[in-house]
Amino acid sequence: MTELTDKNKRTRFVPGQPDMWAFVLFETLVFTAYFGFYLFYRAKSPELFLHGQAQLDLRIGVLNTLVLLLSSWSVARCVQSARVGAYRAALRDGYLTAFLGLAFMVSKVLEWARQIRMGNGFGSSDFFTYYFFLTGIHFVHLVIGFVVLGVLVYQLRSAARRSQELVETCATYWHTVDFLWVLIFALLYVVR
Amino acid sequence: MSTVMTPPESAAAPPSGPVHRRIAWHLRHNPKRELWLAWWVMVAFYNLFFPMFFVVAQVQPPPQPTWDLATQVHWFDERHLGMPIGFGIIFAIAGMTAMNNALIAYSMRRMSVSPAFGYSYLLIYSLSAIPGLLLLCIALVVGTLRPERNPETIGWLYDFAFLSFDGTMGVFLIGSLIWMVAILIDKNRVFPKWFGYLNLCNALTEVVVAPCWIFQRGVLAWNGQIAWWLDMVVFGVYQVTFIVMLFQMIRREDFGSGPLPDLPRKRANAS
Repeated sequence: MTELTDKNKRTRFVPGQPDMWAFVLFETLVFTAYFGFYLFYRAKSPELFLHGQAQLDLRIGVLNTLVLLLSSWSVARCVQSARVGAYRAALRDGYLTAFLGLAFMVSKVLEWARQIRMGNGFGSSDFFTYYFFLTGIHFVHLVIGFVVLGVLVYQLRSAARRSQELVETCATYWHTVDFLWVLIFALLYVVR
Repeated sequence: MSTVMTPPESAAAPPSGPVHRRIAWHLRHNPKRELWLAWWVMVAFYNLFFPMFFVVAQVQPPPQPTWDLATQVHWFDERHLGMPIGFGIIFAIAGMTAMNNALIAYSMRRMSVSPAFGYSYLLIYSLSAIPGLLLLCIALVVGTLRPERNPETIGWLYDFAFLSFDGTMGVFLIGSLIWMVAILIDKNRVFPKWFGYLNLCNALTEVVVAPCWIFQRGVLAWNGQIAWWLDMVVFGVYQVTFIVMLFQMIRREDFGSGPLPDLPRKRANAS
């Protein structure tokens, strides 16, 4: 039995289901294509994109990034706690992750509303088309992330169904959402 | 515990001998013949579907949404032969999608999940053939076969065709999500979990198509690099994958109700 456990430990080379990593890879490729198109059109009209970027508030972007990085930290703590059997702490970190995700969503909606009030809608310029598209598709990933966190909390709440593999799979998804945001933040807010 | 309905020993093994005898045996006795029929119908459908749209009718990749009425009328005129032939064949084979949907629904019935998944999928994808396939074909054929109509009407058919096709992907989105959830919660190992996640990737591209209702130019227009070209690549990967997955499922099918066994070769390697 111990031998079998050791063998399983040896053959497990990624956290969670390896299948989720296939999703991470595929989504990363799709987002790489989005970023490629963004950079291509940015290179074609740099003035227009710089003008659009100047209308974004870098502080909001930094705040968004910090909030999501904190949520990644809390979901990593959740995994660590679950690994050592501290399920109450893991559950608390799971709720904290959801709270930080919610804070990100609220700030993003407020930023969108602000931009629309300033006259920068979805179709107002190429830059804002990309801005709303990239932040919007990331937002959809985040909404799915709440379902994923729901699965994580559901797993942790009952001793009968606690699956460490599923907890780590959910955390992997959440980290992916965070990782994609860091790239979006860099492209839309920082790179000039 | 799998409840396996094993076919009689004499009928289970194909005879050795000439090819025509073996084919005859498979047609008459192979317990999976209906499943293989459905799979081959699916392969045949897609092998006709793409050439009809891309080569015969030449309506994909989609034309420019920004063209003026004169160019749109000219575009219809250029295809006055290809569209009726291509879409005539599409109308004739559209019913084959029922077999595709039935096979996918069967895969869900083989899982350890509620039958509601399979039935919902069947219902949604049966309806989705209307906005996702037939409306486009009907509108474009009408535009081609009635060239004497007012150019405004032809232009309306042009917009209606491509917006109905690209802009109503919600039905496909929900369908993909149903299959995804079924795969992820299934305990019978009918499909690998990564295929469930690939369904999510496909569903997300359906979201990306929706802005084509707003944009007439750029990457999100109905012929845009993101809304059409990139999504087509994702859909292509997804489609080839699900055809292979269904092929593997039929090979592994044991007509039981428990976990689907691995293929004999894999079992041998594992031991």
